[in-house]
Amino acid sequence: MLKSLDPRVNRLALPEEFEAPMASKEQLDQFETYQAFVQTKEGKPFEHAGIVHAPNEEMAFLFAKEQFSRRGMFCNALCVVKTELIQVTEFTDNGQDVYDTLEGNYSGETSESFEVFHLLKRGKQHKYIGNVQAKDFEDGLLAAKETYSRDKPVLNVWITKSENILMSDEEDVDIWNTLKEKKYRDAIDYRAADKIKAFKEEQAQG
Amino acid sequence: MNQEAIKDLLYKMADDQLILGHRNSEWTGFGPLLEEDIAFSSMAQDKVGQSWQLYKILNELGESDPDIVAFMRNADQFHNSQFVELPNGEYDFSLIRHFLFDTAELIRFQMLSESSFEPLANLAKKIKGETKYHSMHAKIWIKQLGSATEESISRLQGSLDEAMPYAFGLFEVSKFEQELIDTGIFAGEEALKALWKNATTEVISETRLTLPDMESITPVFGGRYGSHTEHLQPLLDEMSEVFKVDPTADW
Amino acid sequence: MYGGGNVFETMKATALAEEDPIKLAEFEARIDRGEKIEPTDWMPQLYRKQLIRMIEQHGHSEIIGALPEGTWITRAPGFKRKLALMAKVQDEVGHAQLLYSAAETLGKPREQMIEDLISGKSKYSNIFNYPAFTWADSCFISWLVDAGAIVNQLANSKGSYGPYCRALERICAEESFHLKYGHHCVIHLATGTKTQREMMQAAVNRWWAPMMHFFGPSDKISVHSEILMRWKVKMASNDECRQQFLDMYVPKIWELGLTIPDENLKKNEATGTWEFTEPDWEEFKRVINGDGPCNKERLAVRRMAEERGRWVRQALLAPQAKYVTPLA
Repeated sequence: MLKSLDPRVNRLALPEEFEAPMASKEQLDQFETYQAFVQTKEGKPFEHAGIVHAPNEEMAFLFAKEQFSRRGMFCNALCVVKTELIQVTEFTDNGQDVYDTLEGNYSGETSESFEVFHLLKRGKQHKYIGNVQAKDFEDGLLAAKETYSRDKPVLNVWITKSENILMSDEEDVDIWNTLKEKKYRDAIDYRAADKIKAFKEEQAQG
Repeated sequence: MNQEAIKDLLYKMADDQLILGHRNSEWTGFGPLLEEDIAFSSMAQDKVGQSWQLYKILNELGESDPDIVAFMRNADQFHNSQFVELPNGEYDFSLIRHFLFDTAELIRFQMLSESSFEPLANLAKKIKGETKYHSMHAKIWIKQLGSATEESISRLQGSLDEAMPYAFGLFEVSKFEQELIDTGIFAGEEALKALWKNATTEVISETRLTLPDMESITPVFGGRYGSHTEHLQPLLDEMSEVFKVDPTADW
Repeated sequence: MYGGGNVFETMKATALAEEDPIKLAEFEARIDRGEKIEPTDWMPQLYRKQLIRMIEQHGHSEIIGALPEGTWITRAPGFKRKLALMAKVQDEVGHAQLLYSAAETLGKPREQMIEDLISGKSKYSNIFNYPAFTWADSCFISWLVDAGAIVNQLANSKGSYGPYCRALERICAEESFHLKYGHHCVIHLATGTKTQREMMQAAVNRWWAPMMHFFGPSDKISVHSEILMRWKVKMASNDECRQQFLDMYVPKIWELGLTIPDENLKKNEATGTWEFTEPDWEEFKRVINGDGPCNKERLAVRRMAEERGRWVRQALLAPQAKYVTPLA
């Protein structure tokens, strides 16, 4: 049996040597990916926080909540979208607006609702900009081009059907209520300058 | 108000949360998938944090410092149910315990948010969101794995059957039960158990799992009165190994 | 947490010549302008390969890095330490998740990376192949190994690849808690009772050599590393990181009355650089190649986690599930 300094490992009674290499992870052993967006405060735009691997959107939500909003003072809402269901435009260079590369005009149709996210600087996060009605994805982008005044060039756009988004319920905002109580996760809770000072004084006295 | 009755209530809750939080933290870094590893750890932290809050209330009622209370007592001085001290087993057992315990925890704190003992009512209101997430997490997992593959269903069923008598032990009444009810501090274990039965039955009915016949279960009692399995003392020895090197030291 | 001394692949002389010169020029111009590269941009094969390797190794170092400190997760003394250590080890797992995601945007699926870790094909930071004998070892790791990692990660966060920079930004913010927590623990031991002080000093004695190894041997200046620097994949030399670490932390260790087991360690005031006994690089190589005190255990634990979790993942996996490379 493998002997460890970690009592948890000892309880698992692992073999000293494995007899065979681990069975290869099958191609299928790979969940879908979901993009997670966090709104830290009411009124602020949702911002892309990262991705989670999950077998479905409910679990993606459970996972994203702890991976992307377990610390910080506030969180107001969280949503997840399956990566596969997001349409992505080209990426332009800083200073060049990707909407300028789109041709055609918005149809004016409102059969489907879409959510739109903008990236304003390479290396930064996509932020939620708003909701447009259109007939399909391309039309949605054209609608967004007409709708949003762009003081700064938009380098990349993500667009998805509104129905694809799983959003935290408003009544569940209390799941983040104790965030600010969790001081043990915060550097500020570990001040010890006094202790060093007292120690040095003691040393000096000899 | 009878302090003894309140202390008894606080101790059993605090000890449950501490021991289960400790057990669940054993999964950190060993979980079945990275994201779940993280989520499960957060819930373990919440539990340890809640126990700390409860020990702080006890401290205000004249009991020792929370660190001393948690790290220096022996098994026979602990009031947790035997359910929470059982080893983690495989993930199916840990999940089933998480589901059965956290469903009870959610209801217990909902009931206590009405408590006439204000510090407890305040705490219950404060942590409402934490317990809500725990129960949401448990439900989603049980519904998924309880209806997925033959293996996951049979594993969960086995763990459910094994866990149920211990889970009933959560509702072991205290010698102050009637007093707690009469003074509006806590509506009592029987009331909690009835609500818990409904809540667990509802979730299980949406899966391919079968609940054991609730009427024929013999609850495993004793934990609330300091009687424990052989697993608790080694857990406590391990937990306090460093602390006991010098309990008066500042770690 | 993470160390330097990345194992970069040696470049084949032909590799760059095969790239489209116009696209390559545009790519390099973008980096020269200080703009980040994003996943869908054109990039040279070598850039993609080296980044995958580097970010993947970083991810592995986090998930394996959770184990030495995890050794003490059930034994942390007192509520404050218990909660903090649980949160810290959790963060390491969280960092692995973030880093794997960043590497995935370059086209390597996460499960493939995990498989390569367990089979021994991929490397991770050497320092985690050493055991945490006492509580004080876990405090040393929390403070100083994380401090070393921060030196490295701050440098890398100014690199050229967008998703890696975003991950590192999040990670560095969390590391500030790790660093302060670790320092807090060490201060308490070093200024505490005789037993506590001795425990801490013994941990420093054990961990100093691995700590000096942590940043890797002096970089050989080659055409290869010049290109990686130009492309902002490699952001600082191993020696620069080591010097920065010594400069920031040796005084903080000394002020606690702890000694460092290297009598040649001193700052040369004339040159401003730290002088020290040359670390034993033969041992470094031996440990990297699998012969350290804990290599076997670290991989066995990961393998166990993988195997025990298999039924869970299989049960959850929908037959029609389609893995899609993350967007950012």
